[in-house]
Amino acid sequence: MPKLTIDGKEIEVADGTTVFEAARQADISIPHFCYHPKLSIAGNCRMCLVDIEKMPKPAISCNTVANEGMVVNTKTEKVKELQKSVLEFILINHPIDCPVCDQAGECKLQEFYMDYTMTDSEFHEEKVKKPKKVDLGPNVMLDDERCILCSRCIRFCDEITHTSELCFSERGDRSTLTTFPGKQLDNKYSLNTVDICPVGALTSKPFRFQKRVWFLKHVPSVCSGCATGCNIYMDYDDGKVWRYRTRDNESVNQCWTCDAGRLSYPLHNEKRVTRPMVRKNGVLEYSTISDALGEIARALSSLGGDEAVLVGSAQESNENNMALKKFGQTCQIKDLQYSAKPKDDADADNFLIKADKNPNRAGVQHLGYQEFHGGIGVKVVLALEGFSETHLSQLREEGPVAFILLATHLGPETELADVVLPAATFGEQEGSFTNFQNRVQKFEAALIPQGMVLPAWKWLEKIAQELKQPLQLSAEALLQEGFGLKFADLGTEGKILESKN
Amino acid sequence: MDVMEAKVLTKNFGVKDSHTLPVYESTGGYNVLKRLFSMKPEEVIEEVKKSGLRGRGGAGFPTGLKWSFVPKDSPKPKYLCVNADESEPGTFKDRYLMELDPHRLIEGIIVCSYAIDCHQSYIYIRGEFVFPKERLEQAIAEAYAKGYLGKNILGSGYDLELTVHRGAGAYICGEETALLNSLEGLRGMPRLKPPFPAVVGLFGCPTVVNNVETLSALPFILGEGPEAYRKFGTEKSPGTKMFSVSGHVVRPGNYEIPLGYSLKKLIEEDCGGMKDGKALKAVIPGGSSVPVLPAKDAMEVNLDYESLAEKGSMLGSGGVIVMDETTCMVKTLTNLAHFYAHESCGQCSPCREGTGWAHKILKRMLAGEGRAGDLETLHRIADNMAGKTICVLADALAMPIWSYLKHFRSEFEAYIEK
Amino acid sequence: MADIKFNEANQKKFEQLLKRYPQKRAAMLPTLWLAQEQYGWLSPEVMTYVGGLLEVPPSKVYEVATFYTMFHLQPVGKYHFQVCRTLSCQLRGAEGITAQLKKRFGIGIGQTSEDGRFTLTEVECLGSCGTAPMLQLNDDYHEDLTEAKLDQLIESLE
Repeated sequence: MPKLTIDGKEIEVADGTTVFEAARQADISIPHFCYHPKLSIAGNCRMCLVDIEKMPKPAISCNTVANEGMVVNTKTEKVKELQKSVLEFILINHPIDCPVCDQAGECKLQEFYMDYTMTDSEFHEEKVKKPKKVDLGPNVMLDDERCILCSRCIRFCDEITHTSELCFSERGDRSTLTTFPGKQLDNKYSLNTVDICPVGALTSKPFRFQKRVWFLKHVPSVCSGCATGCNIYMDYDDGKVWRYRTRDNESVNQCWTCDAGRLSYPLHNEKRVTRPMVRKNGVLEYSTISDALGEIARALSSLGGDEAVLVGSAQESNENNMALKKFGQTCQIKDLQYSAKPKDDADADNFLIKADKNPNRAGVQHLGYQEFHGGIGVKVVLALEGFSETHLSQLREEGPVAFILLATHLGPETELADVVLPAATFGEQEGSFTNFQNRVQKFEAALIPQGMVLPAWKWLEKIAQELKQPLQLSAEALLQEGFGLKFADLGTEGKILESKN
Repeated sequence: MDVMEAKVLTKNFGVKDSHTLPVYESTGGYNVLKRLFSMKPEEVIEEVKKSGLRGRGGAGFPTGLKWSFVPKDSPKPKYLCVNADESEPGTFKDRYLMELDPHRLIEGIIVCSYAIDCHQSYIYIRGEFVFPKERLEQAIAEAYAKGYLGKNILGSGYDLELTVHRGAGAYICGEETALLNSLEGLRGMPRLKPPFPAVVGLFGCPTVVNNVETLSALPFILGEGPEAYRKFGTEKSPGTKMFSVSGHVVRPGNYEIPLGYSLKKLIEEDCGGMKDGKALKAVIPGGSSVPVLPAKDAMEVNLDYESLAEKGSMLGSGGVIVMDETTCMVKTLTNLAHFYAHESCGQCSPCREGTGWAHKILKRMLAGEGRAGDLETLHRIADNMAGKTICVLADALAMPIWSYLKHFRSEFEAYIEK
Repeated sequence: MADIKFNEANQKKFEQLLKRYPQKRAAMLPTLWLAQEQYGWLSPEVMTYVGGLLEVPPSKVYEVATFYTMFHLQPVGKYHFQVCRTLSCQLRGAEGITAQLKKRFGIGIGQTSEDGRFTLTEVECLGSCGTAPMLQLNDDYHEDLTEAKLDQLIESLE
């Protein structure tokens, strides 16, 4: 456990800790491009050079192990000059096309330029010409002139996905990031290279030229693409979600997210159910809220409790599923089933992508729901959205008396429904999912529900009211009652459920 | 001491068929092995330490000391990589050592390998050296056939395999860790240090990388003893060294001389003086990377590590580039900047960008478009890239920039518009 | 392109090579050399083949092939003139040698003559500074060049 001094702060670190990590532990940030905590050390950008007393030359902090008694300076004039000069080198062949660069606003080059340079370039020569607008793969575009050759993306493909699509060709200042001729960067995690690119060399095709990042606001959230529940930031503006970004959670996704999950954000924006609908003469038509609620009350009130089925959803939050369960308790409906998207074993890997494409199977199971098995022929079904094709055909065959759906999206489910209420996505409400580890993870509301959209639990309150049953709900109370947790308990890493046995 | 007496490396150079095994044996070649196998490896290292032999590739690190860093108790295989990537502009000595006396090198390789407990050695030879490679391969085949290489060498119980590995055109592979990467089938990028090759080298195993000339001195040192070797040279720079003389002299070529020899004598006597009777302007004494010496300093300096350091230059690889009074120093520095920009591996930002930038400024100046501030910028580029990178390629251009600007500044100023 | 495969002699050489290294990948440069000898240059198909032999992704063959200047990623002429341009050769007239070749073949640096016979490149120091100016023609060094000697060399070519 060596003790060292960094910028006058004495700290003790574990054996083998690098000066860079030691500084980070002491809340001292050292500028860097190539270093990444999850990748091997390349030591090529030279931006993290620091001055270590008694060492003859400046040393890169990312590859220098902290030793007892070391005295490190990271903020002295000498070090600032070093960093400024390294940055100057990195910038000479950079196109400085910030106005048309998607990275603008979250670019390390821009940040460090503001921190260290703020002077005109003394480079008067012709810049090295390299390929621009390289279509690197299905999701990633490359501008080689912006690339600072830090090799993070190459190391990612070598060390994390083990797909090795990327490499540098040539050498010296002609070094160029590329794929093998004719090949693409086409792996299930390719957009992580965009995340870790410290500059605007690698950009996301779906996000390209869509939005200036400084207009975006964000909330912490959880990806709904599969049972992993990768932690994300949901970036939003103008009532729309524009992208997901990875949020670090060492116990779940580290700092990565798969492309499919990351690109699932349009679900908040597209094909939404925005108004209640009621089927009349076989045709689903828009209706008023009161008409729709009236229809639902009529369908439910004529029945005994065992003539109705409540279908929760592994696609829906812990809170909404708990609300449905509570609704059942209030109305004496005991048949609790849950719908889920089918497993996709072929898509699964040993990293982040799970065969189970549902973000909350563990949550609904915890609440005591049984996976959808039908037996609904003469019953009324009140369901959250999330039916698989198989479930739907069973539903179609058995033909329930009435199919009431709290739906977020128009699609095959709403086509079968008799009454549809417009439900909020998880981007429009506070709530939680329970992932495959039984980890309850919180998401926050990014968007205000548009039109008549409400979170499912609020609709259930209204239905209960229509049925003259007392039901007072809140997301916080639902989580507490169903899982014994408070949102505040979940923190940024989530909380593992206590085993029920 | 007369040059003619100091023949450690080149004594067979004039002999017919000196590259063949029978000729090498007839001059006492491979006699050292008997003694070698009677010694303990530590004793061999000790003898080499005593000889004062230093790495002749350019860095000048004490050879015996380098060997002693190889951990003896490591269960991993140990490797000797022979650096035959001779690429430092102005240097062409290893090529002749391999072409004319390959068995001396092989014998030296056996000595070193035995001392560090290595059983597989690689000669990394630059790709362009097709002929020296053929010579080496012939010699190796002869040595295998005669039992100097392979299993149980001369009944000693010691095994050694020797493989020639051909590079493919990259100056940087002369840097020892770039050489290791290249040998492993990677781009020739220098590695971060620590760890050092003696501990984590080729294939992650303890490795010594030694230059051809360094190893070629070993048969003499082991055969005649370290004292005999120390009779040549100076107290602090013992032994002989190959100097490759090129440029504006009457007889360019390789000269083996005892360290401490006068550069003036080398140029004026051994090399027959300046070509076409021109006056001397400057000398780069140790390969293109080392600081240039103006004529006055060059005429005063002796060729040993200390004397050259005193004059602000270095012994380097022993590539002596002689320039006469007609030489344009802006042009020669531009030439060198082109070289280093072309050869930078490109991983460290300061070197990748700095070498290219310096070259572009010089090229523009040479084209008559010098700008006020160019010299300051050049100097600043050199300051900002030297000592800031993984290897010393950036320094290898910074040193010429500093020294050219220091000694020949007015010539550079003349290229800048007033 | 026809099936890429080592001919029998090269296949044997390749198998011998592998025995010299504890890791397949270490045979990268020698294997690329064999491939270039057989095919004249390293096409993507050839690099893919080499990657397969050495169990290395093609990108890792490509990054190596493009790092080293002696590997050809494009076909070169039957006679590849590589003129050393570095300091010692420059001091002794390398520029004249290059100019002579340019004029003679009617091509610029980095170009191949229309008949595909001659390629001219400038290369960095070939370690032959004492016999400057010089060039490497395919594998062979030609040293102490003069205009007449160079003419003679070109005349001697088929």
